[in-house]
Amino acid sequence: MNKKQATGLLYLAPVLILIIAFFLYPSISIIKTSFYQTRYGINFNFAGLKNYLVIFGDEVFHASLVNSLIWTVTGLILQLTIPLGTALLLNQRFGGNTFARATMLVPWITPSVIIAIMARWILEPELGMLNSILLRLGIVDDPINFLGSTTAALPTLIIAQTWQFIPFGTLLILAALQTIPRALYDAMKVDGAKPMQLFRYLIVPKISPMIGFMVFLAFVWNFNVFDKIWLTTQGGPVNATMTLPVLVYKRAFKTFRMGQSSAVGTITVVGLIILGIIYFKYLWKPIKQE
Amino acid sequence: MVTRRLIKRLLLYLAVLVFLFVCLFPFGWVLTGSFHSLAQIMEGQIHWIPKDPTLENYIPLFFSKMGIKNFPVYILNSLMIGCATAVLSSIIAALGGYGLSRYEFYGRDVLSRMMLFIYVFPVVLLALPINESMAKLRLVDSRLGIILIHTALAAPFCTWLLRSFFDSIPKAIEESAAVDGANKIQTLIWIVLPLAAPGVLTAAVYSLVSSWGEQMFASILISSDTMKTLPLGIAMYTSEQYIEWGQLLAGTVLTFVPLLLIFMPLSKHFLQGFMEGALK
Repeated sequence: MNKKQATGLLYLAPVLILIIAFFLYPSISIIKTSFYQTRYGINFNFAGLKNYLVIFGDEVFHASLVNSLIWTVTGLILQLTIPLGTALLLNQRFGGNTFARATMLVPWITPSVIIAIMARWILEPELGMLNSILLRLGIVDDPINFLGSTTAALPTLIIAQTWQFIPFGTLLILAALQTIPRALYDAMKVDGAKPMQLFRYLIVPKISPMIGFMVFLAFVWNFNVFDKIWLTTQGGPVNATMTLPVLVYKRAFKTFRMGQSSAVGTITVVGLIILGIIYFKYLWKPIKQE
Repeated sequence: MVTRRLIKRLLLYLAVLVFLFVCLFPFGWVLTGSFHSLAQIMEGQIHWIPKDPTLENYIPLFFSKMGIKNFPVYILNSLMIGCATAVLSSIIAALGGYGLSRYEFYGRDVLSRMMLFIYVFPVVLLALPINESMAKLRLVDSRLGIILIHTALAAPFCTWLLRSFFDSIPKAIEESAAVDGANKIQTLIWIVLPLAAPGVLTAAVYSLVSSWGEQMFASILISSDTMKTLPLGIAMYTSEQYIEWGQLLAGTVLTFVPLLLIFMPLSKHFLQGFMEGALK
């Protein structure tokens, strides 16, 4: 390594130190903890695979795995298709465009705590806006306990999560759509292309790199959700909204089973690394702006 | 022909309005709720425009003699932690982004990707070991500890964001500064950074926003009331048995409004910065 290379790394040193201290070291640490029996973080006894055996036989773990899968996949599908529709609809010049864009960012930057409080406020069974509308329109006879029922809680939170992503997703696809020169549309129309053909042969190829980026973004953003679930349902009722991150937290900080928590964490990390490698190896294409 | 275009235009505006309404109505509903009296809230009598607007939910946040007394302190804590995080993380990210953009070294692309890749892991996994390290460093229940964690959470993303900003600044500008006798650090501070200012600002705002709303680490590490940040403060109005709706809504508004005031003027830069990062 020559001097110039060393200087380059020197610029990166602060951020690398942070990554090592706050991401790398903790990741290794939970792998280690997963092989130990712990009480309140102390009294280490090597436990071999015991934590893993307990976790693999644990119904709550099975439920979390299934919930995480449903949560991430349904979220991903909704969060890619709906913004695609709205972006195609809004891909025209109109007055107030800049204002509309700025407002569309608002849900995305809203802290989870606030999303959680808003959801509880609107969905409250007795006082909430949504139930009062549903009752008044005669759609339901009794208020729905959206966050308190085992069947409704997970879909409700998926919708809240999707609601938060839609405007931002729309902005991302709009940005990709706007890299397509208007002349190309006109040229294809002159050649007699129908709207479906325009979509298939012009729009899809141009926006697919952005969609690829969004798959990554939305996957990570969905899978990792902890605080929105914790602050609305705490994984309940009866584990109906228990996902892997929520389980990791609950085992570590509520029931103080550090070893089990770390075992779930390790399984999650390994799964994500495999998915990540597949993504970066086969799907990641840096988007080129023309 | 003209009427058809007009109708199309109107439909477009209608669609935009409906879309914006869907994006924004929950915020409006919290805002209007916060100006209703507790009695109206508990009877479910909320209207878009409050019949007799009241500040009765806001006043106890600042002048309460019992219950939760430290709301102004929470605001101050959030402000201090958020600003320190923003400054620290944009400095670190500017250095890192510059290094990635201007120097070629072995593993550069891997490092660059790593800045994003680490976000694949749920931060909740890191909570347990970070909590232990912080205890060893005696940084539990301190603002410095939270600032460090928030910086670590924001800086890698900001580094990735800033790299693309630096990439778009021609190297020739720096070379001519070097000819004029400026050293590397001088060039970075006086020539490159001003050109990348929108990016640095974006990074700072992103860090501030993410720190302001961060709840999990704060709740794990902070125990004393005078160290609490806003997300922890407003959570105190909810318990499993009872929710103090009036003050909770008012507290939520006061948590979110400062964020909007800081963010909205910069939203254009933020979007542009994010796009440039994503599109390159």
